[in-house]
Amino acid sequence: MIELTHVVKNFSSPDKHDASKSIHAVNDVSLKINDGDIFGIIGFSGAGKSTLVRCINLLERPDSGSVKIDGTEMTQLKPKELYAARRKIGMIFQQFNLMPSRTVFDNVAYPLKHMPKLEIQKRVRELLSLVEISDKENSYPSELSGGQKQRVAIARALANDPTILLCDEATSALDPQTTGAILQLLKDLNATLNLTIVVITHEMEVVKNICRKAAVMDHGEIIETGDVFEIFSNPQHQVTKNFVRTTSNLSKIENLLRENSPMVQVKPGEVMARLVYIYADVSDPLISFASREFDLVINIILADVEIVSDIMVGGTVVIFSGDYAKIQQAIEYFKSKNVRVEVLKDAAISE
Amino acid sequence: MQQFLSELLPNLMRRTPEFWKAICDTLLMEAWAGSICFVIGLIFGIILTVTKPGGIMENRPLYQVLDTIINLFRSIPFIILLTALMPLSRWIMGTAIYVRGVIVPLVFGAAPFFSRQVESALAQTDKGLIEAALSMGSSPLEVIFRVYLRESIAPITRATTITAISLLSLTAMAGAVGAGGLGDFAIRYGHDRNMIDITWVTVILLVLAVSFVQWLGEMFARKNTH
Ligand SMILES: Nc1ncnc2c1ncn2[C@@H]1O[C@H](COP(=O)(O)OP(=O)(O)O)[C@@H](O)[C@H]1O
Ligand SMILES: [Mg+2]
Repeated sequence: MIELTHVVKNFSSPDKHDASKSIHAVNDVSLKINDGDIFGIIGFSGAGKSTLVRCINLLERPDSGSVKIDGTEMTQLKPKELYAARRKIGMIFQQFNLMPSRTVFDNVAYPLKHMPKLEIQKRVRELLSLVEISDKENSYPSELSGGQKQRVAIARALANDPTILLCDEATSALDPQTTGAILQLLKDLNATLNLTIVVITHEMEVVKNICRKAAVMDHGEIIETGDVFEIFSNPQHQVTKNFVRTTSNLSKIENLLRENSPMVQVKPGEVMARLVYIYADVSDPLISFASREFDLVINIILADVEIVSDIMVGGTVVIFSGDYAKIQQAIEYFKSKNVRVEVLKDAAISE
Repeated sequence: MQQFLSELLPNLMRRTPEFWKAICDTLLMEAWAGSICFVIGLIFGIILTVTKPGGIMENRPLYQVLDTIINLFRSIPFIILLTALMPLSRWIMGTAIYVRGVIVPLVFGAAPFFSRQVESALAQTDKGLIEAALSMGSSPLEVIFRVYLRESIAPITRATTITAISLLSLTAMAGAVGAGGLGDFAIRYGHDRNMIDITWVTVILLVLAVSFVQWLGEMFARKNTH
């Protein structure tokens, strides 16, 4: 279990004489990450994600606050104890950070130097086969593709059987297909090794793909945290909404609205709304039921089903037309069925 | 052959024992001063790298003191260093002349230069590698040996080559204050007594030595680049 309590990290400003300009990279963050979780931390560039994750293994020493890992207060450790503790926390990076002068084998062997030679060989081979890159044992990093490099970096990070793996933008330098493969590998490792994984990213896609829980970070603070499908289906904060929109097809409606496309014209009395619901299979009966029950024409103009941490999240953009009071009743009905309704255009109001 | 050389290089062939002695003296100066410079420069370069602001063993006072000392010695022309350090040389080595007597000024002349070269070689190390090593539980000392030095073999080799070559020209200058060596040999005969053949042979020899050092360094650097 990783427990951050009131963690603060400031950086002195470039302007040394003006302390008020110091950068609050991490501003009073408290966070709990359970064993075996895949926990996402998402935020725009400069939000403080890297600084926060570096506070977990104390690459960055917090100015105040507590960092506990399995009950051990990291900030109180003596240097030697800290080095030992870090061996149990793997870390991978956007730029892979493999040592260019060492072969794949020697890179993975780097953290194993306390072992006898024969054991090192056995362990390295084991790790390389775990990440499915055994054939590159004698290659140099410069001879590998990005995805292969990240596999080697994962093997190296896992060398000392850590319980935690920190991933700082681990897939941000990879193409979408390779990203998918690496995320799948992380998912598998989480399942087979019961590895706790902390995923730092600025891509909602990544969080959606592998995380069960996530926190949204902005200006050094955690502004929203919870189950990913909760965050996804019901974002509270504007920043979160923006992130959700970056991956959802339903966000296209915003563009259409902005362009005032013919697709999104509503006639007087009509209401256009976005409906978002968990479990897509409930969508169709709901809409057709409402249509019949309230005697409305419900025209679906966009529909999208997302798989968020293995849960289906569905969304549609619809135009209700019919009696205005009935439309309001239908909206209430949807809300009662746990569907989030967001009115995008209401001709009765806009006229 | 002997006949041919004697005709081509009359002055040199009459002084072969002295010539060999000069070569040996130069090599001795280069080897002694070079080895000491290598160790000192490596240590200073590392200290500069790790103690500078943002370094893995940040220590402002130590960094600033070392930085200032190195700048100071780098700004003093070698020919002045040679005479200014005579008392120190007498104290440490027991003499201020011959090969023994110029080792101290040679070290003072070349070590600050090499320290800077090492510092800039180490500065090329990707910060991410340091970070990765620390995240794997390496101590700062381990980071120095297993990352900084290990990953900088090629640039440090190039720095060594450059320093060795500049040291060679310092040894020639040291000849002027009675250290012996090829520089002294060329000045005393080639220049003062106008024996052109001696000047030419010395020049060719030095060019060959420099090329050899450069070739060796480049070979080694390339072998360690992947
Ligand atoms: N070593 C540092 N010195 C000064 N400022 C830093 C340092 N590291 C990060 N920052 C600043 O802290 C803020 C958060 O950075 P970072 O944690 O890297 O954000 P993210 O990873 O979310 O992009 C940024 O404004 C960045 O400029
Ligand atoms: Mg970052």
